[in-house]
Amino acid sequence: MSILKPELDIPLDADTAAVAVEVRGVHKWYGGHRVLDGIDLTVSPGEVTAIIGPSGSGKSTLLRVINHLEQPQLGHVSLGGEPIGVRWHRGRLRELSERQILAQRGRIGFVFQNFNLFPHLTVLDNVAAAPVATGQLRKPDAQQLARTLLGRVGLGEKANAYPRQLSGGQQQRVAIARALALRPGVILFDEPTSALDPELVGEVLAVIKDLAAGGTTLVIVTHEIGFAREVADRVVFMDGGRILEQGTPSEVLDHPQHPRTREFLSRVL
Amino acid sequence: MSDSLAPAVPPDTAPRRDADPPGRLAAAQAAATHAADAPSTQRVIPLRRPGRWIASAVALVLLAQVVHGLATNPFYQWDRFQYWFARPVITDGLAITLEVAAYSAVLGLAGGVVLALARLSRSPVLRATSWVYVWLFRSVPLIVVLLFLYNFSALYRTLSLGVPFGPAFWHVDESKLATDMVIAVVGLSLNEAAYAAEVVRAGILSVDQGQHEAAAALGLPRRYQFTRIVFPQALRAIVPSYVNQLIGLVKSTSLVFYVSLLDLFGSVQSMGSTYPGDIVPLLLVATVWYVILTSVISVVQFYVERHYARGALRTLPPTPLQRLRTTLTALIARIRKETAS
Amino acid sequence: MPSTHTSRVLRSLSAGTAATALSVGLAACGSAASSAAATSADNASTGAVTVAALANGAGTKTDIKVAEVASLHAELPASVAKSGQLVIGVGALPAGFPPLAFVGSDQQTLTGSEPDFGRLVAAVLGLKPVVQNSTWDNLFVGIDSGRTDVGFSNITDTEERKKKYDFASYREDNLAFEVTKSSTWNFDGDYTALAGRTVAVGAGTNQEKILLEWQAKLKAAGKQLTIKYFPDDNATHLALVGGKIDAYFGPNPGIAYQIAQDAKTPNPTRNAGTYSGAGATLQGLIAATTKKDSGLVKPIADAINYLIKNGQYATWLTAWNLSNEAVPTSQINPPGLPLTNA
Repeated sequence: MSILKPELDIPLDADTAAVAVEVRGVHKWYGGHRVLDGIDLTVSPGEVTAIIGPSGSGKSTLLRVINHLEQPQLGHVSLGGEPIGVRWHRGRLRELSERQILAQRGRIGFVFQNFNLFPHLTVLDNVAAAPVATGQLRKPDAQQLARTLLGRVGLGEKANAYPRQLSGGQQQRVAIARALALRPGVILFDEPTSALDPELVGEVLAVIKDLAAGGTTLVIVTHEIGFAREVADRVVFMDGGRILEQGTPSEVLDHPQHPRTREFLSRVL
Repeated sequence: MSDSLAPAVPPDTAPRRDADPPGRLAAAQAAATHAADAPSTQRVIPLRRPGRWIASAVALVLLAQVVHGLATNPFYQWDRFQYWFARPVITDGLAITLEVAAYSAVLGLAGGVVLALARLSRSPVLRATSWVYVWLFRSVPLIVVLLFLYNFSALYRTLSLGVPFGPAFWHVDESKLATDMVIAVVGLSLNEAAYAAEVVRAGILSVDQGQHEAAAALGLPRRYQFTRIVFPQALRAIVPSYVNQLIGLVKSTSLVFYVSLLDLFGSVQSMGSTYPGDIVPLLLVATVWYVILTSVISVVQFYVERHYARGALRTLPPTPLQRLRTTLTALIARIRKETAS
Repeated sequence: MPSTHTSRVLRSLSAGTAATALSVGLAACGSAASSAAATSADNASTGAVTVAALANGAGTKTDIKVAEVASLHAELPASVAKSGQLVIGVGALPAGFPPLAFVGSDQQTLTGSEPDFGRLVAAVLGLKPVVQNSTWDNLFVGIDSGRTDVGFSNITDTEERKKKYDFASYREDNLAFEVTKSSTWNFDGDYTALAGRTVAVGAGTNQEKILLEWQAKLKAAGKQLTIKYFPDDNATHLALVGGKIDAYFGPNPGIAYQIAQDAKTPNPTRNAGTYSGAGATLQGLIAATTKKDSGLVKPIADAINYLIKNGQYATWLTAWNLSNEAVPTSQINPPGLPLTNA
């Protein structure tokens, strides 16, 4: 972690306007199996929200509904007041075209558990690809931005390496830089450290912590309770496709009200 | 080099295999009698494998016999082989083979990509159309496709005379050779596309789902997702299968005599009937040319595969040239060392 | 009337007048024509058809003087007359069958007695010959579709084929046995010599029918004759020199050609006896083949009879060493190989 310090002094995302996320009455089911069962959640601009809960509780699905990788059967998600993947038309929600949805996704960063870096592209191209492909920046500018972002996550030296030549922690940091390249209003993290060796977790959490301090809206699905306590403004506990409890870290983690929360915390802490 | 682990024995006294047999023997004896004291830096003596030597010797003897038989048996008529090998009739046939195969390979792959995308699309109509196409053209023998196309064009030409907008087609039909070539290429491409579709589809499916999701989550335009993210990765799986397919294609061009084109093998058959005494050398000529074509394709395959392995492997395997260079350098270094000592 | 070939002059000649009246002064064809188109161009300027060119030893190159016969031209169906050309189909792909139809000694031009005769017929009819080489299958489909006007390709007249095609006969078959030179076997005109032998024959041919009859007779006598089939002459020839078969039973001209060619190789062959292609009961005939009721068969038969009467037919057969296969007259749809091959 210490190696990151000098470069992380650069303030992150001064040019990014953090936005609010609103989830309204979202239901999602596969066949008869309810994955999300009436989710309402409001994340204020700049707020850091940690979602915790047992496996299969619907945390990851909720995250994927927010950037419309999954479509909810009922309800919708708005980003800064604009519905995602749908639009209002004569009082009803209608699906947007794929092109419009892809454009909206540019405003939502997403960091995967398994990094999902593009293995055939160099680290620099992984980060620079999206701004070029979506027409936001020309290639030289995008590469300049990519170098800056890689510097911020402490990987300025690795710009020309291929992802498989990096450790898991380094790959996840590249993935974070890649998500930042589109200057998103919100970044979603889907268990960003679950696939990492224990000694590599710290370097990734340090980068996320730095983002949190920079004022970006973050929604983090995590098993790292200690980390949630440290960085989150709010902790949300999910089980069985519902939000059972939410509040400040001390409210939820130290004084849980719901018996399921207490049971879960007693198992993981 | 990592001698720090063995302070008991100074590096320069460690037995060096090959260079110092008595030393090695002594060390081996020492290892046998004082196993516990054996220095950890000592080189391990490889297990002797007499079976492998015997098998290698037998293989070499058999190979020598085959070569000897090929070279000396008058049945093969090597003087006639030499006469025929680069005859214009043979090289003209070879040109047809290459032309038909090259066009069909490109068009077949393009068609295969389209079919694979249709098969993987969300539209049930496109999926079904693609499936039916692949099913149909994998079922119908290539000969039947060629026969049908050849005679379909004949029927169509007759029809086109009476049709007002026929002249356009008539125009295409004017050059006899172009027509036969077009029919051959269309026939082989239609057939090739069906197989290529499955190869491409398998390649696309071999790309991790996470790659699709990551591309979608970044909001990359759909075309970009396919051309820059998914397809280049799919090519790793596609190239070996498609090259296999390609080699088959080169040989299946020998069926184009069904549309009155004489490729390499067709020329050989034709010449074999005029010169029945030369059938065997003519067949050998065709064989050697096919071997050459396959070898060239295999070399190209190696480099294409290497290109698309970027990022998939931590370090790329050396090319045969690089390997040769490394071996030579090592050999020279060793010889220098031996001569110096 | 040298070098004239206007229809008026020709019309004045009665059918019986010898074509030798068309006399000298004709420029001989220069070097061998490299394509059918070039050959026909020569025809137009000289009134001669060169046969047995590039024969690779199978024939003697000969110029045959022949010119349009207006009365025969008048018999042509309107569509053919209007097109001005006769599309002659030959089924010699990929392997030819010398000396009947094959790629000549320049290793690129189609030659052989069959396309040559097609060109002679075209010349009599005043049409430009266009020779199309294709596979055996496509030869027939080509006639069906109208792409090809007439097949001259050693096609045997059979009752089965008569359902779809009209025939004008022009040659008969003689058959022979080919064996390796080292073989001591001889046919001697006696089928019992075949007992215990393995013989190759072309599937669906007249000679196959004859061989099958002998096989049945031998079986009745408790003896065995094994019959093998190969896709083409090349494969048959390989099997013969490789010792897989004892003999090949096929058309005499083809076998004569192969023997001549093999003489130079390490695997020479020889003729082990001939047999009439008529078989025991039937005269097999080779015929020009047109689509049924296309109206072409009569002018073609008349043209062949014209060539027979005027001597060009005999010259053509002599040029290809096929004189022993001459027919006295061309018949339209003569009795052919019966439907059942029992």
